[in-house]
Amino acid sequence: MDDRWNLLQNQPFSRLNARERAYAICNPESFTELLGPRLKLTSPHLPPMGQTPQFDDGVVVGLGTVGKAPAVVVSQESKFLGGGVGEAHGTKMVMAIRLALRGQEILESRSKSSESRGRVAVVISFDTGGVRLQEANAGLLAHSEVMDAFQAARGKVPIIGIVGGTVGCFGGMGFVAASVDVLIMSDVGRLGLTGPGVIEEVVGTEEFDAANRALVWRTTGGRHRFITRDADFIVEDTMKAFREKVAEVASWPIEKIASKRIIGTGEMVLEQMRLVDLAANDRIQDSWDLWRQFGNEDIEYLWDSNVSEFEANARRWPRGRVGDND
Amino acid sequence: MPGAGPGGGLEIMINFVGRGRDAIDYIVDEGSFEENLCGGETLDPEWAESAVVGSATLSGETVTVIANDAGIANPRFRMVYAGLMGLEEGFKMAHAVYLTIKADKDKPLAEKRPIILVVDTPGMSPGKVEEIIGIYKSTGAYQLASAEARRAGHPIVAMVVGRAISGGFLCHGLQADRILALSDEFGTMVHVMPLVGIARVTKINIMLLEELSEGNPVFASGVSHFYNLGGVDEIIESVADMRPRVKAQIDEIRRLKAAGEYDKVGPWSRLMSGIKRGGRKTSEKVIELMEEEFNLALSSWLGGEDDGFTP
Repeated sequence: MDDRWNLLQNQPFSRLNARERAYAICNPESFTELLGPRLKLTSPHLPPMGQTPQFDDGVVVGLGTVGKAPAVVVSQESKFLGGGVGEAHGTKMVMAIRLALRGQEILESRSKSSESRGRVAVVISFDTGGVRLQEANAGLLAHSEVMDAFQAARGKVPIIGIVGGTVGCFGGMGFVAASVDVLIMSDVGRLGLTGPGVIEEVVGTEEFDAANRALVWRTTGGRHRFITRDADFIVEDTMKAFREKVAEVASWPIEKIASKRIIGTGEMVLEQMRLVDLAANDRIQDSWDLWRQFGNEDIEYLWDSNVSEFEANARRWPRGRVGDND
Repeated sequence: MPGAGPGGGLEIMINFVGRGRDAIDYIVDEGSFEENLCGGETLDPEWAESAVVGSATLSGETVTVIANDAGIANPRFRMVYAGLMGLEEGFKMAHAVYLTIKADKDKPLAEKRPIILVVDTPGMSPGKVEEIIGIYKSTGAYQLASAEARRAGHPIVAMVVGRAISGGFLCHGLQADRILALSDEFGTMVHVMPLVGIARVTKINIMLLEELSEGNPVFASGVSHFYNLGGVDEIIESVADMRPRVKAQIDEIRRLKAAGEYDKVGPWSRLMSGIKRGGRKTSEKVIELMEEEFNLALSSWLGGEDDGFTP
């Protein structure tokens, strides 16, 4: 048995680095890195700025299997420039999705029955503040390339997102994470577009007090995103919890996976507009106002309870769709 | 027209910064724009008024127009003003795209109506309520809708007439088949953050950044930098050129799509242009090496030709 893999499973997901996460999210000994540090492909833009580049440009990409599915894994490293997306980093992400589609086409071209062929999944572990400012323009463009690749993957290759790192997922990567099929978060994970620090800086402390950690977490954290259904699952902060959930989701039929999407159709836009309506005219001052509207009464209890108690007792936004009120 | 003003040496430049709505008439057939009429449906005129959507004609053909009016605030959301796009604005623009797809869903490729984006926005609204509800869904929805319309055959052309900044540009512009931008003399601004901001956040000396930006388009502000990176497909030098160039791009996009060349339009095509124009320094190598390593790993990843996939 693979001792390193076993050891990683019980570690907090948030404490692991990008390569450990990519390796341990896959079945034991199944992960092969593409364009790994051995090839030393670094950003040429950073050294002239006095910044030491990294051999993987802050993102680990590779092939493996999760449960029964062949998978392309993308894992961002927040310890390198905050997980920021630069030129090589961005192109690696885009290529990962394109190669997953190619893998799926190869499987489909084989003559066996569809069940035995398997189906490729993409797993992305987000840990990033979005665009890397040192390569801002290329990073920005990469976001548009990833979104286009996501749309190309629709209905063919499911994209499973994970947000459980110490930086979370902000900036442009916030909408990338919202555009996956299924999103899994932990209590540590945070998701947003404009980070609390940026809001405080450009608008003011009265709009958002970024030093207030409880406020930051109840606005952007996994529990709030679970309640509004932006996150489909909330799991414990362990490698094992994330891996088991990813493997479970990867085995679902593609229709079930698509049903978990929150945006990507005209109906979903109108559905989300109903959520937006609840917040108009300053009716919502705090995420907990929204929790109360969905019928959560003992908020303090929900906030302090452990993840499984929270998951069992939290009342989520009903989405307004029949049969989706679980 | 740049430089074409009345006598006396006084030059009058048309400037569309903050005037996205006014620019519409310079791009489509003059006077043809009908606001809130979208794919045969009429939208509530009070819904997110700064997100200007509707139908117009270009050379007589019906097109969908999506613009942003920086002069209008949203009375329901405080952080939507001066061109910032909020929750309702992104969703409304996405809705307009889906209505366009629906209206033409049974039409052949050559008759899918074009979508014209008139771009002038400083970004997405940075507010607390926006984060509570999740504004990333609003901008994400619009991008996915645009990518779907583009892949369904609708030609999408973005015309940058003012500011195309950071998340605002991603939301409204960067999913187009082709992106045209008025040159810098028109006050056009394309960037993620001005250099002073980058210097402050990254703690890199501003003098060094200024010096580096002369030879490297990867981080600095400006239409020509984005052109070199592939992020702008064509720079337009006069207001009068906007209409014929948008029309010519639509024809070209239709030709490419009819030939099935979907990788020659949209974001991937701009990545390729960036490599060709020399602005992207590592992307080509990344693509090559990943292809190579993928092919080497393929049989152990998916099993051999006859094996099927066995985990």
